[in-house]
Amino acid sequence: MTDYHPTRGSAIDRFFFDWFTGETLGAVRFYFGLGLVLYLGSQYPQLLTLDAFGPHFRYTLPIWYFDLLGIDTHIPLMPFLVFPVMLIACLFFAFGKWTKPAIIVILITMFWLKGMRDSFSGDVHHREIPVVPLLLLFLVSKCDQVFGIDARRRKLAVIQDWEASWPLRAMQVYIAMFYFWALVAKLRVSGLFWFEHGGRIQQTLIVRSVRDGFAANGDVVNLSLAWKLAQNPDLVFFFGVVVFLFELFIPLILFVKDWRLRLVMLIGATSFHISNYLLMNVQFYFYPIVFVAFFDMVKVHAWLKQRLRLQPRVPAAS
Amino acid sequence: MTEVAVKRFLLGFFLIFFGAVFLRVDYFPFSWVPMYGFREEKPFIVVAVGDLKRRDLGFTALRANGEQLFLNRRDLNMPPANFRRLYQERAFGEGPPQHRRERAGLMPLNRWWYETLIGEDPAKTADYQRDLLRSVNATLGLGPGDPRRIVQLEAHLDFATFRQQDLDSGHLINPSIERRVALVTDKGTEIIRTHLSGPLGPQTMERISD
Repeated sequence: MTDYHPTRGSAIDRFFFDWFTGETLGAVRFYFGLGLVLYLGSQYPQLLTLDAFGPHFRYTLPIWYFDLLGIDTHIPLMPFLVFPVMLIACLFFAFGKWTKPAIIVILITMFWLKGMRDSFSGDVHHREIPVVPLLLLFLVSKCDQVFGIDARRRKLAVIQDWEASWPLRAMQVYIAMFYFWALVAKLRVSGLFWFEHGGRIQQTLIVRSVRDGFAANGDVVNLSLAWKLAQNPDLVFFFGVVVFLFELFIPLILFVKDWRLRLVMLIGATSFHISNYLLMNVQFYFYPIVFVAFFDMVKVHAWLKQRLRLQPRVPAAS
Repeated sequence: MTEVAVKRFLLGFFLIFFGAVFLRVDYFPFSWVPMYGFREEKPFIVVAVGDLKRRDLGFTALRANGEQLFLNRRDLNMPPANFRRLYQERAFGEGPPQHRRERAGLMPLNRWWYETLIGEDPAKTADYQRDLLRSVNATLGLGPGDPRRIVQLEAHLDFATFRQQDLDSGHLINPSIERRVALVTDKGTEIIRTHLSGPLGPQTMERISD
Protein backbone atom coordinates (compact mmCIF):
# COMPACT_ATOMS: atom_id res chain seq x y z
CA MET A 1 0.00 0.00 0.00
CA THR A 2 1.21 3.48 -0.72
CA ASP A 3 2.08 5.87 2.01
CA TYR A 4 0.30 9.07 2.87
CA HIS A 5 0.78 11.59 0.07
CA PRO A 6 1.97 14.87 1.63
CA THR A 7 0.50 17.06 -1.12
CA ARG A 8 -3.07 15.81 -0.60
CA GLY A 9 -4.74 17.83 2.08
CA SER A 10 -8.26 16.51 1.83
CA ALA A 11 -9.31 13.32 3.61
CA ILE A 12 -11.47 12.39 0.60
CA ASP A 13 -8.46 12.64 -1.71
CA ARG A 14 -6.40 10.47 0.59
CA PHE A 15 -9.28 8.01 0.87
CA PHE A 16 -9.56 7.50 -2.87
CA PHE A 17 -6.03 8.11 -4.15
CA ASP A 18 -3.59 6.83 -1.52
CA TRP A 19 -4.36 3.18 -1.00
CA PHE A 20 -2.97 0.77 -3.61
CA THR A 21 0.02 0.52 -5.93
CA GLY A 22 -0.31 0.75 -9.72
CA GLU A 23 -0.17 -2.95 -10.47
CA THR A 24 -2.86 -3.88 -7.97
CA LEU A 25 -5.65 -2.73 -10.28
CA GLY A 26 -4.53 -5.24 -12.93
CA ALA A 27 -4.17 -8.04 -10.39
CA VAL A 28 -7.66 -7.36 -9.04
CA ARG A 29 -8.98 -7.34 -12.62
CA PHE A 30 -7.34 -10.74 -13.21
CA TYR A 31 -8.90 -12.43 -10.15
CA PHE A 32 -12.23 -10.64 -10.50
CA GLY A 33 -12.40 -11.77 -14.14
CA LEU A 34 -11.72 -15.39 -13.20
CA GLY A 35 -14.30 -15.09 -10.45
CA LEU A 36 -16.82 -13.73 -12.94
CA VAL A 37 -16.49 -16.91 -14.97
CA LEU A 38 -17.68 -18.83 -11.92
CA TYR A 39 -20.22 -16.27 -10.74
CA LEU A 40 -21.92 -15.48 -14.03
CA GLY A 41 -21.37 -19.05 -15.19
CA SER A 42 -23.53 -20.24 -12.28
CA GLN A 43 -26.41 -17.85 -13.02
CA TYR A 44 -27.77 -19.03 -16.36
CA PRO A 45 -27.26 -22.80 -16.87
CA GLN A 46 -31.02 -23.38 -16.45
CA LEU A 47 -31.47 -21.69 -19.84
CA LEU A 48 -29.22 -24.36 -21.34
CA THR A 49 -31.49 -27.17 -20.14
CA LEU A 50 -34.22 -26.07 -22.57
CA ASP A 51 -34.80 -27.52 -26.00
CA ALA A 52 -32.86 -25.18 -28.31
CA PHE A 53 -35.31 -25.85 -31.13
CA GLY A 54 -38.44 -26.21 -28.96
CA PRO A 55 -41.33 -23.76 -28.46
CA HIS A 56 -40.57 -20.07 -28.08
CA PHE A 57 -42.06 -19.08 -24.73
CA ARG A 58 -43.95 -15.79 -24.69
CA TYR A 59 -42.68 -13.93 -21.61
CA THR A 60 -45.32 -13.18 -19.00
CA LEU A 61 -43.52 -10.11 -17.58
CA PRO A 62 -40.55 -8.97 -19.70
CA ILE A 63 -37.82 -7.05 -17.86
CA TRP A 64 -38.02 -3.27 -18.46
CA TYR A 65 -35.40 -3.07 -21.20
CA PHE A 66 -36.85 -6.05 -23.06
CA ASP A 67 -40.19 -4.29 -22.85
CA LEU A 68 -38.60 -1.14 -24.24
CA LEU A 69 -36.92 -3.06 -27.08
CA GLY A 70 -40.06 -5.06 -27.86
CA ILE A 71 -38.49 -8.40 -26.93
CA ASP A 72 -41.39 -10.50 -25.69
CA THR A 73 -40.45 -14.04 -26.71
CA HIS A 74 -37.72 -16.43 -25.59
CA ILE A 75 -35.66 -17.81 -28.45
CA PRO A 76 -34.23 -20.92 -26.77
CA LEU A 77 -31.25 -21.18 -29.12
CA MET A 78 -29.90 -17.78 -28.07
CA PRO A 79 -28.47 -18.74 -24.63
CA PHE A 80 -26.41 -21.47 -26.32
CA LEU A 81 -24.73 -18.73 -28.35
CA VAL A 82 -24.67 -15.87 -25.85
CA PHE A 83 -23.55 -17.80 -22.75
CA PRO A 84 -20.19 -19.02 -24.16
CA VAL A 85 -19.48 -15.56 -25.59
CA MET A 86 -19.99 -14.10 -22.10
CA LEU A 87 -17.62 -16.61 -20.49
CA ILE A 88 -14.95 -16.08 -23.16
CA ALA A 89 -15.26 -12.31 -22.70
CA CYS A 90 -14.72 -12.81 -18.95
CA LEU A 91 -11.49 -14.66 -19.72
CA PHE A 92 -10.32 -11.96 -22.13
CA PHE A 93 -11.07 -9.39 -19.43
CA ALA A 94 -9.21 -11.43 -16.79
CA PHE A 95 -6.12 -11.94 -18.91
CA GLY A 96 -6.02 -8.36 -20.13
CA LYS A 97 -6.51 -9.03 -23.83
CA TRP A 98 -8.82 -6.51 -25.55
CA THR A 99 -9.86 -5.66 -22.02
CA LYS A 100 -12.24 -2.75 -22.60
CA PRO A 101 -14.14 -4.35 -25.51
CA ALA A 102 -14.38 -7.49 -23.36
CA ILE A 103 -16.04 -5.46 -20.58
CA ILE A 104 -18.62 -4.14 -23.03
CA VAL A 105 -19.29 -7.66 -24.31
CA ILE A 106 -19.72 -8.96 -20.73
CA LEU A 107 -22.20 -6.19 -19.95
CA ILE A 108 -24.26 -6.74 -23.10
CA THR A 109 -24.36 -10.54 -22.77
CA MET A 110 -25.14 -10.32 -19.05
CA PHE A 111 -28.04 -7.94 -19.64
CA TRP A 112 -29.25 -10.25 -22.38
CA LEU A 113 -29.04 -13.49 -20.37
CA LYS A 114 -30.49 -11.87 -17.28
CA GLY A 115 -33.36 -10.49 -19.34
CA MET A 116 -34.06 -13.95 -20.73
CA ARG A 117 -33.94 -15.66 -17.34
CA ASP A 118 -36.03 -13.09 -15.48
CA SER A 119 -38.70 -12.39 -18.10
CA PHE A 120 -40.31 -15.85 -18.05
CA SER A 121 -42.13 -15.13 -14.82
CA GLY A 122 -41.12 -11.55 -13.98
CA ASP A 123 -39.03 -12.17 -10.86
CA VAL A 124 -36.08 -9.84 -11.36
CA HIS A 125 -33.14 -11.16 -9.36
CA HIS A 126 -30.56 -8.85 -7.79
CA ARG A 127 -27.55 -11.08 -8.37
CA GLU A 128 -26.04 -9.14 -11.26
CA ILE A 129 -26.59 -5.67 -9.80
CA PRO A 130 -23.21 -5.17 -8.07
CA VAL A 131 -21.34 -6.55 -11.09
CA VAL A 132 -22.51 -3.70 -13.33
CA PRO A 133 -21.03 -0.74 -11.40
CA LEU A 134 -17.81 -2.66 -10.77
CA LEU A 135 -17.41 -3.36 -14.48
CA LEU A 136 -18.18 0.29 -15.25
CA LEU A 137 -15.39 1.33 -12.89
CA PHE A 138 -13.01 -1.07 -14.62
CA LEU A 139 -14.14 0.34 -17.96
CA VAL A 140 -13.24 3.94 -17.12
CA SER A 141 -10.04 2.99 -15.30
CA LYS A 142 -6.63 2.09 -16.71
CA CYS A 143 -7.06 -1.56 -15.78
CA ASP A 144 -6.12 -2.58 -19.32
CA GLN A 145 -2.64 -1.10 -18.98
CA VAL A 146 -1.32 -3.39 -16.25
CA PHE A 147 -0.99 -7.06 -15.44
CA GLY A 148 -2.24 -8.41 -18.73
CA ILE A 149 -1.35 -9.70 -22.18
CA ASP A 150 -1.83 -6.38 -23.96
CA ALA A 151 0.17 -4.50 -21.34
CA ARG A 152 3.07 -6.96 -21.62
CA ARG A 153 3.09 -7.01 -25.42
CA ARG A 154 2.93 -3.26 -25.74
CA LYS A 155 5.45 -2.87 -22.90
CA LEU A 156 3.32 -0.20 -21.24
CA ALA A 157 4.67 1.67 -18.23
CA VAL A 158 3.01 0.80 -14.94
CA ILE A 159 0.26 3.28 -14.16
CA GLN A 160 0.54 5.68 -11.25
CA ASP A 161 -0.63 4.57 -7.85
CA TRP A 162 -3.50 7.05 -7.62
CA GLU A 163 -4.78 5.85 -11.00
CA ALA A 164 -5.05 2.32 -9.66
CA SER A 165 -6.29 3.34 -6.28
CA TRP A 166 -9.46 5.31 -6.99
CA PRO A 167 -11.37 2.67 -8.98
CA LEU A 168 -10.63 0.04 -6.36
CA ARG A 169 -11.65 2.33 -3.53
CA ALA A 170 -14.85 3.22 -5.39
CA MET A 171 -15.57 -0.50 -5.78
CA GLN A 172 -15.00 -1.02 -2.06
CA VAL A 173 -17.43 1.78 -1.23
CA TYR A 174 -20.08 0.31 -3.53
CA ILE A 175 -19.65 -3.23 -2.16
CA ALA A 176 -19.68 -2.24 1.52
CA MET A 177 -22.61 0.11 1.05
CA PHE A 178 -24.58 -2.57 -0.83
CA TYR A 179 -24.84 -4.49 2.45
CA PHE A 180 -25.55 -1.33 4.41
CA TRP A 181 -28.35 -0.31 2.02
CA ALA A 182 -29.86 -3.78 2.50
CA LEU A 183 -30.21 -2.98 6.21
CA VAL A 184 -31.61 0.47 5.43
CA ALA A 185 -34.14 -1.16 3.07
CA LYS A 186 -35.35 -3.50 5.83
CA LEU A 187 -35.78 -0.62 8.23
CA ARG A 188 -37.49 1.57 5.61
CA VAL A 189 -40.28 -0.86 4.76
CA SER A 190 -40.52 -3.12 7.81
CA GLY A 191 -38.76 -1.38 10.68
CA LEU A 192 -37.45 -3.49 13.54
CA PHE A 193 -40.46 -5.76 13.01
CA TRP A 194 -38.30 -7.42 10.34
CA PHE A 195 -36.18 -8.88 13.14
CA GLU A 196 -38.86 -9.55 15.79
CA HIS A 197 -39.05 -13.15 17.02
CA GLY A 198 -37.99 -15.32 14.06
CA GLY A 199 -38.64 -12.31 11.84
CA ARG A 200 -38.60 -12.32 8.10
CA ILE A 201 -35.80 -14.90 8.13
CA GLN A 202 -38.10 -17.51 9.70
CA GLN A 203 -40.81 -16.71 7.15
CA THR A 204 -38.39 -17.14 4.27
CA LEU A 205 -37.09 -20.40 5.71
CA ILE A 206 -40.66 -21.76 5.87
CA VAL A 207 -41.66 -20.49 2.42
CA ARG A 208 -38.55 -21.91 0.77
CA SER A 209 -38.55 -25.26 2.56
CA VAL A 210 -42.20 -26.20 1.91
CA ARG A 211 -42.51 -24.90 -1.63
CA ASP A 212 -41.72 -28.34 -3.09
CA GLY A 213 -43.82 -30.16 -0.47
CA PHE A 214 -43.18 -33.13 1.80
CA ALA A 215 -41.66 -36.56 1.11
CA ALA A 216 -43.16 -39.84 2.28
CA ASN A 217 -40.83 -39.89 5.31
CA GLY A 218 -42.48 -36.71 6.63
CA ASP A 219 -39.56 -34.45 5.84
CA VAL A 220 -39.68 -31.65 3.31
CA VAL A 221 -38.54 -32.60 -0.20
CA ASN A 222 -35.87 -29.90 -0.37
CA LEU A 223 -34.07 -27.63 2.10
CA SER A 224 -34.73 -29.80 5.15
CA LEU A 225 -32.13 -27.83 7.12
CA ALA A 226 -34.20 -24.70 6.58
CA TRP A 227 -37.34 -26.46 7.81
CA LYS A 228 -35.55 -27.61 10.97
CA LEU A 229 -34.05 -24.19 11.60
CA ALA A 230 -37.44 -22.50 11.13
CA GLN A 231 -38.68 -24.53 14.12
CA ASN A 232 -36.05 -22.91 16.30
CA PRO A 233 -37.06 -19.22 16.33
CA ASP A 234 -34.56 -18.25 19.04
CA LEU A 235 -31.67 -19.43 16.91
CA VAL A 236 -33.18 -17.67 13.88
CA PHE A 237 -33.46 -14.47 15.93
CA PHE A 238 -29.78 -14.79 16.84
CA PHE A 239 -28.88 -15.08 13.15
CA GLY A 240 -31.05 -12.03 12.48
CA VAL A 241 -29.05 -10.04 15.05
CA VAL A 242 -25.80 -11.17 13.42
CA VAL A 243 -27.10 -10.03 10.02
CA PHE A 244 -28.15 -6.68 11.54
CA LEU A 245 -24.71 -6.10 13.07
CA PHE A 246 -22.86 -7.24 9.94
CA GLU A 247 -24.84 -4.95 7.64
CA LEU A 248 -24.65 -2.03 10.08
CA PHE A 249 -20.92 -2.08 10.66
CA ILE A 250 -19.52 -3.29 7.35
CA PRO A 251 -18.84 0.27 6.05
CA LEU A 252 -16.17 0.56 8.77
CA ILE A 253 -14.06 -1.88 6.77
CA LEU A 254 -13.38 0.99 4.34
CA PHE A 255 -11.11 2.54 6.94
CA VAL A 256 -9.29 -0.63 7.99
CA LYS A 257 -5.89 -1.25 6.44
CA ASP A 258 -5.02 -4.45 8.31
CA TRP A 259 -5.51 -7.32 5.83
CA ARG A 260 -6.30 -9.75 8.67
CA LEU A 261 -9.37 -7.76 9.67
CA ARG A 262 -10.40 -7.63 6.02
CA LEU A 263 -9.98 -11.37 5.86
CA VAL A 264 -12.34 -11.72 8.84
CA MET A 265 -14.86 -9.61 6.90
CA LEU A 266 -14.42 -11.83 3.84
CA ILE A 267 -14.96 -14.98 5.92
CA GLY A 268 -18.07 -13.40 7.48
CA ALA A 269 -19.52 -12.42 4.10
CA THR A 270 -18.69 -15.79 2.56
CA SER A 271 -20.35 -17.65 5.46
CA PHE A 272 -23.40 -15.41 5.06
CA HIS A 273 -23.79 -16.10 1.35
CA ILE A 274 -23.10 -19.83 1.57
CA SER A 275 -25.58 -20.17 4.46
CA ASN A 276 -28.18 -18.32 2.41
CA TYR A 277 -27.63 -20.78 -0.40
CA LEU A 278 -27.73 -23.92 1.73
CA LEU A 279 -30.75 -22.76 3.74
CA MET A 280 -32.78 -20.81 1.21
CA ASN A 281 -31.31 -21.55 -2.21
CA VAL A 282 -30.32 -17.90 -2.63
CA GLN A 283 -27.78 -18.18 -5.42
CA PHE A 284 -25.26 -15.58 -4.33
CA TYR A 285 -22.67 -18.19 -3.28
CA PHE A 286 -19.91 -17.02 -5.64
CA TYR A 287 -20.62 -13.37 -4.85
CA PRO A 288 -17.66 -13.04 -2.42
CA ILE A 289 -15.39 -12.86 -5.48
CA VAL A 290 -16.12 -9.12 -5.49
CA PHE A 291 -14.07 -8.87 -2.29
CA VAL A 292 -10.83 -9.16 -4.29
CA ALA A 293 -11.17 -5.36 -4.52
CA PHE A 294 -10.38 -5.18 -0.80
CA PHE A 295 -6.99 -6.89 -1.00
CA ASP A 296 -3.61 -6.16 -2.47
CA MET A 297 -3.91 -8.89 -5.07
CA VAL A 298 -0.33 -8.39 -6.29
CA LYS A 299 0.86 -9.75 -2.95
CA VAL A 300 -1.80 -12.47 -2.99
CA HIS A 301 -0.71 -13.42 -6.52
CA ALA A 302 2.96 -13.61 -5.52
CA TRP A 303 2.04 -15.69 -2.46
CA LEU A 304 -0.10 -18.04 -4.56
CA LYS A 305 2.64 -18.47 -7.17
CA GLN A 306 5.09 -19.33 -4.44
CA ARG A 307 2.63 -21.82 -2.91
CA LEU A 308 2.09 -23.41 -6.29
CA ARG A 309 5.88 -23.52 -6.81
CA LEU A 310 5.62 -21.40 -9.94
CA GLN A 311 8.22 -19.06 -8.59
CA PRO A 312 11.45 -20.12 -6.84
CA ARG A 313 11.61 -19.35 -3.16
CA VAL A 314 13.79 -16.40 -2.32
CA PRO A 315 16.65 -17.78 -0.22
CA ALA A 316 16.76 -16.40 3.28
CA ALA A 317 19.59 -13.98 3.95
CA SER A 318 22.32 -15.61 5.95
CA MET B 1 -8.31 11.46 -16.47
CA THR B 2 -6.86 14.02 -14.09
CA GLU B 3 -7.53 13.80 -10.37
CA VAL B 4 -10.11 16.56 -10.67
CA ALA B 5 -11.89 14.73 -13.50
CA VAL B 6 -11.84 11.53 -11.44
CA LYS B 7 -13.45 13.30 -8.52
CA ARG B 8 -16.18 14.68 -10.79
CA PHE B 9 -16.74 11.22 -12.24
CA LEU B 10 -16.99 9.65 -8.78
CA LEU B 11 -19.46 12.30 -7.68
CA GLY B 12 -21.67 11.49 -10.65
CA PHE B 13 -21.20 7.74 -10.21
CA PHE B 14 -22.27 7.72 -6.57
CA LEU B 15 -25.02 10.28 -7.15
CA ILE B 16 -26.58 7.95 -9.71
CA PHE B 17 -26.14 4.62 -7.91
CA PHE B 18 -26.82 5.87 -4.39
CA GLY B 19 -29.46 8.32 -5.61
CA ALA B 20 -31.35 5.26 -6.83
CA VAL B 21 -31.29 3.98 -3.24
CA PHE B 22 -32.78 7.24 -1.98
CA LEU B 23 -35.47 7.21 -4.68
CA ARG B 24 -36.18 3.51 -4.11
CA VAL B 25 -35.50 2.57 -7.70
CA ASP B 26 -35.49 -1.17 -8.30
CA TYR B 27 -34.92 -1.40 -12.01
CA PHE B 28 -31.78 -3.31 -12.98
CA PRO B 29 -28.96 -2.24 -12.72
CA PHE B 30 -30.21 0.24 -10.10
CA SER B 31 -31.51 -0.94 -6.78
CA TRP B 32 -32.29 0.16 -3.25
CA VAL B 33 -31.29 -3.41 -2.26
CA PRO B 34 -34.65 -4.54 -0.87
CA MET B 35 -34.35 -8.29 -1.62
CA TYR B 36 -35.94 -9.90 1.44
CA GLY B 37 -36.48 -6.62 3.28
CA PHE B 38 -40.28 -6.50 3.24
CA ARG B 39 -42.24 -8.10 6.10
CA GLU B 40 -45.93 -7.34 6.37
CA GLU B 41 -47.28 -6.72 9.88
CA LYS B 42 -49.86 -9.47 10.26
CA PRO B 43 -50.58 -11.88 13.13
CA PHE B 44 -50.20 -14.81 10.72
CA ILE B 45 -48.48 -15.83 7.50
CA VAL B 46 -49.95 -17.80 4.60
CA VAL B 47 -47.50 -20.12 2.87
CA ALA B 48 -47.91 -22.15 -0.33
CA VAL B 49 -47.12 -25.82 0.27
CA GLY B 50 -46.05 -27.30 -3.05
CA ASP B 51 -46.34 -30.76 -4.47
CA LEU B 52 -43.43 -31.58 -6.74
CA LYS B 53 -45.16 -34.52 -8.45
CA ARG B 54 -48.30 -32.58 -9.14
CA ARG B 55 -46.35 -29.57 -10.39
CA ASP B 56 -44.28 -31.79 -12.64
CA LEU B 57 -47.50 -33.00 -14.28
CA GLY B 58 -48.29 -29.38 -14.98
CA PHE B 59 -51.46 -27.37 -15.43
CA THR B 60 -54.60 -29.29 -16.25
CA ALA B 61 -55.61 -27.52 -19.44
CA LEU B 62 -58.82 -27.42 -21.40
CA ARG B 63 -58.93 -26.67 -25.12
CA ALA B 64 -61.80 -24.78 -26.80
CA ASN B 65 -62.78 -28.03 -28.52
CA GLY B 66 -63.24 -29.70 -25.10
CA GLU B 67 -60.02 -31.76 -25.14
CA GLN B 68 -58.22 -32.03 -21.77
CA LEU B 69 -54.46 -32.27 -21.39
CA PHE B 70 -51.60 -31.53 -19.04
CA LEU B 71 -49.24 -28.66 -19.83
CA ASN B 72 -45.91 -28.92 -18.09
CA ARG B 73 -42.67 -26.95 -18.25
CA ARG B 74 -41.33 -29.11 -21.09
CA ASP B 75 -44.38 -28.36 -23.21
CA LEU B 76 -43.77 -24.66 -22.62
CA ASN B 77 -39.97 -25.05 -22.85
CA MET B 78 -39.16 -23.09 -19.71
CA PRO B 79 -36.84 -23.56 -16.69
CA PRO B 80 -38.29 -25.35 -13.62
CA ALA B 81 -37.97 -22.40 -11.23
CA ASN B 82 -39.87 -20.11 -13.60
CA PHE B 83 -42.56 -22.73 -14.12
CA ARG B 84 -42.90 -23.09 -10.34
CA ARG B 85 -43.57 -19.35 -10.09
CA LEU B 86 -46.23 -19.50 -12.78
CA TYR B 87 -47.90 -22.57 -11.29
CA GLN B 88 -47.72 -21.68 -7.60
CA GLU B 89 -47.81 -17.89 -7.69
CA ARG B 90 -49.17 -16.26 -10.86
CA ALA B 91 -52.01 -18.79 -11.28
CA PHE B 92 -53.14 -17.86 -7.76
CA GLY B 93 -52.84 -14.12 -8.42
CA GLU B 94 -49.53 -13.55 -6.67
CA GLY B 95 -47.10 -11.22 -8.47
CA PRO B 96 -43.32 -11.11 -8.31
CA PRO B 97 -41.73 -9.69 -5.11
CA GLN B 98 -40.85 -6.42 -6.91
CA HIS B 99 -44.54 -5.72 -7.43
CA ARG B 100 -45.50 -6.68 -3.89
CA ARG B 101 -43.07 -4.27 -2.22
CA GLU B 102 -42.73 -1.52 -4.84
CA ARG B 103 -45.22 0.91 -3.28
CA ALA B 104 -44.98 -0.22 0.34
CA GLY B 105 -44.21 2.63 2.76
CA LEU B 106 -43.16 5.15 0.09
CA MET B 107 -42.35 8.69 1.21
CA PRO B 108 -44.29 11.43 -0.65
CA LEU B 109 -41.51 12.31 -3.12
CA ASN B 110 -41.02 8.69 -4.14
CA ARG B 111 -44.76 8.06 -4.33
CA TRP B 112 -45.04 11.09 -6.61
CA TRP B 113 -42.38 9.97 -9.06
CA TYR B 114 -43.62 6.37 -9.11
CA GLU B 115 -47.19 7.47 -9.82
CA THR B 116 -46.09 10.08 -12.36
CA LEU B 117 -43.46 8.15 -14.31
CA ILE B 118 -44.38 4.48 -13.76
CA GLY B 119 -48.14 4.68 -13.30
CA GLU B 120 -50.47 2.66 -11.15
CA ASP B 121 -49.36 0.10 -8.59
CA PRO B 122 -48.79 -3.15 -10.54
CA ALA B 123 -49.66 -5.21 -7.47
CA LYS B 124 -53.19 -3.79 -7.69
CA THR B 125 -53.68 -3.45 -11.43
CA ALA B 126 -51.84 -6.41 -13.01
CA ASP B 127 -53.86 -9.44 -14.08
CA TYR B 128 -51.27 -12.18 -13.69
CA GLN B 129 -53.70 -14.99 -14.50
CA ARG B 130 -54.83 -13.47 -17.78
CA ASP B 131 -51.18 -12.80 -18.73
CA LEU B 132 -50.42 -16.44 -17.99
CA LEU B 133 -53.20 -17.76 -20.22
CA ARG B 134 -52.26 -15.35 -23.01
CA SER B 135 -48.61 -16.40 -22.74
CA VAL B 136 -49.44 -20.12 -22.89
CA ASN B 137 -51.55 -19.70 -26.05
CA ALA B 138 -48.94 -17.48 -27.71
CA THR B 139 -46.18 -19.99 -26.87
CA LEU B 140 -48.16 -22.83 -28.43
CA GLY B 141 -49.03 -20.67 -31.44
CA LEU B 142 -52.78 -20.83 -30.80
CA GLY B 143 -54.74 -17.79 -31.96
CA PRO B 144 -58.13 -16.61 -30.67
CA GLY B 145 -60.07 -18.45 -33.37
CA ASP B 146 -58.20 -21.74 -33.05
CA PRO B 147 -60.37 -24.58 -31.69
CA ARG B 148 -57.25 -26.03 -30.05
CA ARG B 149 -56.60 -22.84 -28.06
CA ILE B 150 -56.39 -23.21 -24.29
CA VAL B 151 -59.47 -21.76 -22.62
CA GLN B 152 -58.80 -22.92 -19.07
CA LEU B 153 -55.75 -23.65 -16.92
CA GLU B 154 -56.16 -25.42 -13.61
CA ALA B 155 -53.58 -25.42 -10.79
CA HIS B 156 -53.81 -27.17 -7.40
CA LEU B 157 -52.04 -26.03 -4.28
CA ASP B 158 -52.32 -26.17 -0.49
CA PHE B 159 -51.91 -23.05 1.60
CA ALA B 160 -50.88 -23.29 5.24
CA THR B 161 -51.71 -20.47 7.65
CA PHE B 162 -49.26 -20.21 10.55
CA ARG B 163 -50.38 -18.08 13.48
CA GLN B 164 -47.83 -15.82 15.15
CA GLN B 165 -47.89 -18.00 18.30
CA ASP B 166 -47.03 -21.07 16.16
CA LEU B 167 -44.12 -19.18 14.63
CA ASP B 168 -42.91 -17.93 18.02
CA SER B 169 -43.02 -21.38 19.58
CA GLY B 170 -41.57 -23.15 16.52
CA HIS B 171 -44.52 -25.61 16.40
CA LEU B 172 -45.07 -25.56 12.68
CA ILE B 173 -46.71 -28.91 12.09
CA ASN B 174 -50.34 -27.98 12.79
CA PRO B 175 -51.18 -24.92 10.73
CA SER B 176 -54.63 -24.36 9.28
CA ILE B 177 -54.55 -25.83 5.75
CA GLU B 178 -56.68 -24.80 2.81
CA ARG B 179 -56.61 -26.49 -0.60
CA ARG B 180 -57.09 -24.08 -3.45
CA VAL B 181 -57.81 -24.87 -7.07
CA ALA B 182 -57.25 -22.00 -9.48
CA LEU B 183 -59.37 -22.10 -12.62
CA VAL B 184 -57.85 -19.54 -14.98
CA THR B 185 -60.04 -18.63 -17.97
CA ASP B 186 -60.12 -15.68 -20.34
CA LYS B 187 -63.24 -14.48 -18.55
CA GLY B 188 -61.51 -14.38 -15.17
CA THR B 189 -60.19 -16.65 -12.48
CA GLU B 190 -62.10 -18.68 -9.94
CA ILE B 191 -60.41 -19.99 -6.81
CA ILE B 192 -62.14 -23.00 -5.23
CA ARG B 193 -61.23 -23.40 -1.56
CA THR B 194 -61.55 -26.45 0.68
CA HIS B 195 -60.50 -26.54 4.31
CA LEU B 196 -58.37 -29.56 5.22
CA SER B 197 -57.79 -31.04 8.64
CA GLY B 198 -54.79 -32.90 9.94
CA PRO B 199 -51.10 -32.10 10.35
CA LEU B 200 -48.86 -30.71 7.65
CA GLY B 201 -46.96 -33.50 5.94
CA PRO B 202 -46.93 -36.17 3.27
CA GLN B 203 -50.55 -37.23 3.93
CA THR B 204 -51.74 -33.82 2.82
CA MET B 205 -49.51 -34.06 -0.21
CA GLU B 206 -50.79 -37.50 -1.16
CA ARG B 207 -54.32 -36.14 -1.22
CA ILE B 208 -53.14 -33.46 -3.60
CA SER B 209 -51.42 -35.98 -5.83
CA ASP B 210 -54.50 -38.19 -6.03
